[in-house]
Amino acid sequence: MNLQEKLKILADSAKYDASCSSSGSKRSNNGGLGNAAVAGICHSFASDGRCISLLKILLTNSCIFDCKYCLNRKSNNIKRAIFTPEEICEITINFYRRNYIEGLFLSSGIIKSPDYTMEQLIKTIELLRNKYHFNGYIHAKAIPGSSDALLKRLGNLVDRLSANVELPTENGLKLLAPNKDSNKVDKIMGYVKDNQSRNYVPAGQSTQMIIGATKERDLDIMHKSSSLYDKYKLKRVFYSAYVPVNKDSVLPSLISPPLVRENRLYQADWLLRFYNFKVDDLLNEDNPNFNILVDPKTDWALRHLNEFPKEINKCSYYDLLKIPGIGVKSAKRIVTSRRNFTIQMSDLKRLGVVIKRAKYFILCDGKYFANTSLFKKDFIEANLVLEDKDMAVIKREQLRLF
Amino acid sequence: MQHIYVYDGSYLALLSLILELIKRKIKPDNIKLENYEVTLFDEVINLQIEYDPNILKKMHKSFGRYATNAMYYVFLSEEENKELLLYYFFLNALKYHKNIGYKRNLKCVSEVLRISQYVMHEGHKMKGFLRFKELENKVLYAEMEPTNDVIMLVSEHFQKRLKNEYFIIKDVGRGILSIYDKQKFVIVPEDNFILSTSVLSDEEKKMEQLWKIFYRTIGIEARKNDRCRMNFMPKKYWKHIIEMEDEL
Repeated sequence: MNLQEKLKILADSAKYDASCSSSGSKRSNNGGLGNAAVAGICHSFASDGRCISLLKILLTNSCIFDCKYCLNRKSNNIKRAIFTPEEICEITINFYRRNYIEGLFLSSGIIKSPDYTMEQLIKTIELLRNKYHFNGYIHAKAIPGSSDALLKRLGNLVDRLSANVELPTENGLKLLAPNKDSNKVDKIMGYVKDNQSRNYVPAGQSTQMIIGATKERDLDIMHKSSSLYDKYKLKRVFYSAYVPVNKDSVLPSLISPPLVRENRLYQADWLLRFYNFKVDDLLNEDNPNFNILVDPKTDWALRHLNEFPKEINKCSYYDLLKIPGIGVKSAKRIVTSRRNFTIQMSDLKRLGVVIKRAKYFILCDGKYFANTSLFKKDFIEANLVLEDKDMAVIKREQLRLF
Repeated sequence: MQHIYVYDGSYLALLSLILELIKRKIKPDNIKLENYEVTLFDEVINLQIEYDPNILKKMHKSFGRYATNAMYYVFLSEEENKELLLYYFFLNALKYHKNIGYKRNLKCVSEVLRISQYVMHEGHKMKGFLRFKELENKVLYAEMEPTNDVIMLVSEHFQKRLKNEYFIIKDVGRGILSIYDKQKFVIVPEDNFILSTSVLSDEEKKMEQLWKIFYRTIGIEARKNDRCRMNFMPKKYWKHIIEMEDEL
């Protein structure tokens, strides 16, 4: 099999992993090739609009596991390939020199045993770091069930190490990934968290959950994310809308991946990490799934209209963050600006506020954007839904159903 | 009559001119490059002042790093009347000092910050979208056509990253080259050089082919979204992004 064919198979098998970020590492160029950019750099964008930052490949797509949702499961009759460590180095170095990529994302199907697979990953990355003196970004997948000694060696070589939770509940995992054991993933995340330093996994760890392959509600997913952030100090939880690649009686038959739902989960994830929201603010047992029509923050605001409208010139930073159309950046700008002048409605655009969303929820120097008799839930909701760009996506998805 | 003050195109000259105008309490109708196309109503004035080599240091101290850098990014932009905008920003910065960055209710401040962010963002994008080709002699060569003059920002990045390589970056639109010799880079007009960039290394075609295969494979068909891709990677850059060649 030639290199082109291998690359095609092993990139194809890796593409369902959502993570491609290259941020958070300050690795510098100590005489070799490359460095890491703290902010991360996107080098291209694929036909699905997702960023391409890393050369995302598997070492091999052979696997002894038979996870129902996975393209590479043992029972699938597909072409199998395996890279040699030298081949991976050759492609990585050549792509990197030409500025195609920011670094390498290396994962693998499980061959022989978890420890054996880990050793192959380590061998490849050691070669890249020590023989080719590559200082670019490397994100490696830790293989669940491998020993602590191997986790230590791999973590010392890479910028990010991750293990995928895949499904938010134990039941989901039992149903779709009978060979996987969530305790083993927990063990990896615990080990990385306890050992993380400037030299060990400097860009932190992340994980991924598949959305829509099992019956979990958004509430279950968000609780899982929230506990992962608290317990293991994860940098990111990625959500990957389930793309039906296999047919199986236990899998749902979706016509298209649930992209809007994925988007809502990411929006809520941001609210947890940067906007001081708790899962219970956003969802509860009576209301266990996100509103498809409006984003989670707007949805929250519409349910708590009694707290609005808020005065831009007076309310606290944390209150500013609760206003739809105001983000972390614009909230900070508002706080520094209002020490210098009284903010008027006409200044908001310059401060980066999304006025078409925010205007319903704010007062500027005591003034509402329209007659205050319009401050009603029905009016605001109807207007916001009409303006929502995401609605275009929903309409497209609905069309595909027929 | 319009009073047009001219400078030689360098940043230091512009700053020195602005400072001099402020000192003499002159309010210019505009500030332009000395070789601009003069119209019938223009009175061109060349003050021929000496540069103040410490002006940037003084600005740093008085306006802060944030505002001083923002001004430089505006200078790199293609914004019409950017010189006059910088004059008004400078005037206000002398009044508000380090607080100038927070005065977004002033039009000159919000404009300077908006434009500087735009330039910075384009510089960041070029760090990702630039594509080197390996020439026969192992030199890495890239062409780009950015809207703003970001070759300096881009070169600083690759100087660190590709420390042990020779590289040349060409801004096609501006006709300038950045040449790095494993020590430092210089930015020069391309007229001074005869470049032979047509002979590529033996490996080059093979690597481009591999990259195109990777690019086509990594997109998920069921999630295809051209609009989203276009938002992140505007079509104006595609010409020099090799994996997009076939889609142009």
